[in-house]
Amino acid sequence: MATIVELPRLSDTMEEGVVAKWRVAVGDKVKRGQIIAEIETDKATMEFESFDSGYVLALVAEEGEALPLGAPIAVFGKEGEDPQAALASASSGGPAPAERAAAEAKADERAHAEAPEPSGDEAEASEAPAPDAAPKRESAPAAAERVSLDADSQRIPASPIARRLAREHDLELTAIAGSGPHGRVIKADVERAAAEGTAKRGAAASPAAGSAPGTLSTESDAWGRPYVSRPDEHVRLNQMRKAIARRMTQSKQEVPHYYLTLEVDMGRAIGFRADYNAAIAPAKISFNDLIVKAVARALREFPAVNVSFAGAEFIRRGDVHVGVAVAVDDGLIVPVIRFADQKSLESISSESRDLGGRARSKQLRPEEMSGGTFTVSNLGMFGIQEFAAVINPGEPGILAVGAIEPRAVVVDGQVAVRQRMTMTISADHRVTDGALAAQWLNLVKGYLENPLSMLADPK
Amino acid sequence: MPTLQIREAIREAMREEMVRDDKVFLMGEEVGHYQGAYKCSQGLLEQFGEKRVVDTPITETGFAGVGIGAAMCGLRPIIEFMTFNFSAVAFDQILNNAAKIHHMTGGQFSVPIVFRGPNAAAHMLGSTHSQAFDSFYAHIPGLKVVSVATPYDAKGLLKSAIRDPNPVIFFESELMYSVRGEVPEEEYLIPIGEADIKRPGDDVTLLCWGQSVPTALAAAELAQEHSDLSAEVIDLRTLRPLDTEAIIASVKKTNRVVIAEHGWPYGGVGAELVDRIQRLAFDWLDAPVARVCYDDIPFAYAENLEHLSIPQPEDVHAALRQVAYRD
Repeated sequence: MATIVELPRLSDTMEEGVVAKWRVAVGDKVKRGQIIAEIETDKATMEFESFDSGYVLALVAEEGEALPLGAPIAVFGKEGEDPQAALASASSGGPAPAERAAAEAKADERAHAEAPEPSGDEAEASEAPAPDAAPKRESAPAAAERVSLDADSQRIPASPIARRLAREHDLELTAIAGSGPHGRVIKADVERAAAEGTAKRGAAASPAAGSAPGTLSTESDAWGRPYVSRPDEHVRLNQMRKAIARRMTQSKQEVPHYYLTLEVDMGRAIGFRADYNAAIAPAKISFNDLIVKAVARALREFPAVNVSFAGAEFIRRGDVHVGVAVAVDDGLIVPVIRFADQKSLESISSESRDLGGRARSKQLRPEEMSGGTFTVSNLGMFGIQEFAAVINPGEPGILAVGAIEPRAVVVDGQVAVRQRMTMTISADHRVTDGALAAQWLNLVKGYLENPLSMLADPK
Repeated sequence: MPTLQIREAIREAMREEMVRDDKVFLMGEEVGHYQGAYKCSQGLLEQFGEKRVVDTPITETGFAGVGIGAAMCGLRPIIEFMTFNFSAVAFDQILNNAAKIHHMTGGQFSVPIVFRGPNAAAHMLGSTHSQAFDSFYAHIPGLKVVSVATPYDAKGLLKSAIRDPNPVIFFESELMYSVRGEVPEEEYLIPIGEADIKRPGDDVTLLCWGQSVPTALAAAELAQEHSDLSAEVIDLRTLRPLDTEAIIASVKKTNRVVIAEHGWPYGGVGAELVDRIQRLAFDWLDAPVARVCYDDIPFAYAENLEHLSIPQPEDVHAALRQVAYRD
């Protein structure tokens, strides 16, 4: 493969240089160490010894032309090789710094999207750009450190043979996670990347490429080794994040939240779900579907909670539409299961799955994300025990659901292990009071602790 | 094939060369009537007489100088130091006469002489008698330096050293004189300047010589057994001139190097090896070269402390793991 010869730094203060005179011509064979040009620096005219060997394919720099450090001045390669390909890849090789920063910013946002909070601004959220997959941790080793040893260049610590192999396999060293000390890329890492076909030069920067290269800090550890400092990045908010930011701020500023927490015994719900799933196989319902059903029934049965604050009045909602917070790549979306109180567990389940899937692929219609009267947010799948969610403005509350887990509880004066789950309602104090919401929450608890009662006709 | 101890291999080398060439003679403290402090010269006085097996007073400067003069006059002396620690007294003769006369006389005189004896720490001899002189002598242009670890190498290389037209420093080991190994009955020579692969391997190049050869071989065994690491053990045998080609060929295969060195770290032979490796095989290295050396201290007499100062197979095994990124 052809090699680009770059304008070298020949003095400490040199920032640009001029090829005063070429000592080789196109077609010449050059040996490493041979003088190929005279370079004028800010201080003197110096002879430039070649670091490379090969045939001179092109002399890019004109004699007398001022060029910045690192500018391509010549191309070496095999006899008869086309220098244009190498020049083209030198000018477009890898993403430009701005593109790369954007890609990394996106990766960064994605990492933070794992703890979703419900959002109410469905219409605006729907305008957000459309990444494709459900939020998931990238499998590549994100911990791979990128340590820069040279503040001037984006130097990656790599063993010499790792560098050589990366060059020979045409791999991007920055895209290979180093397993050696201080994140050093070693031979085995390059061989693995080569075998797996990853880290090809010119491929888009992957999230595995990690954070921006750092520089050496003036602060150092006890052994005098400087810390690596990485620059802050400024990431523009997309439409979804703007909507989340505005609506959540509005909620916390305008809606006086209060919080009630209750622990639910899920033992019977677990048994019920297993039996139910066996009956409807291959379809199946989730615990969240049970919770949505319980919430919907409780709202129908106890309409005092199904209200909306509207300034001088409040509105008792006639219908029960339950929103379900769904984490997506760069934020969250709340599709709404309409008339949830009148739907069977099975239809809540299939609708919830359909809406969730289309939410992640950003294919929901605006009306599928609006009109909710209450929201359920579940972080149980992340092992969260309990949390308090932020109310979507216009709704009376939001139920935050934690994980089902075995806990030690006192049963008949004895310590026993039971499958328990904690749920917390955040409620709008302008339209409900604690005692009211507590009664409603106990109703939900009752349904979950005796799921068969949800199959009875509503009272 | 007969099995000999290193001391017997050295004796046979001297005997054969003394029979072959009547210009060869042996001189040193206790080499004659006492049969050698370590019995390397046992029976030689009886066979060759007092003119060719010469007991000296305790005067290293004197008999080293006499040897150099004899070599200039056409003889081929073998000078035995009871230990190389005592060669410190004769250092000026070796540094300024043996190593320089050929050069300073424009080639009119040669100094075909061998200085031989045990080198490096033995067992509880205290700081002044436990020193490794490898780097002192390998530092000097005009000398050749050999260090042997097996009877086969000892015999083949000592015969080459005696026939060499230059001054040769020939390191043996007090701890290893009784090491046994096969030695052919028929005559053979091992050229000075050739390393020997004592154990082939793929993952790490393990360089050693003299006393560190058994240490390295034991470490390679540990590495194979406990770390599934295959170490290629290369016995340098000659420290000057170095067999750079053999070292680099192995490094290009394994990409990783550990140097086991019975000697102090600062400016040691291992430092020279590291320099050559990084210059000649930089693009083949996957890890910084590791050295396992004596502690950088005058040796303790106490057995436990002395043990801690000397590279043990476990230390070399740890270094092998380190360069292979196993920790």
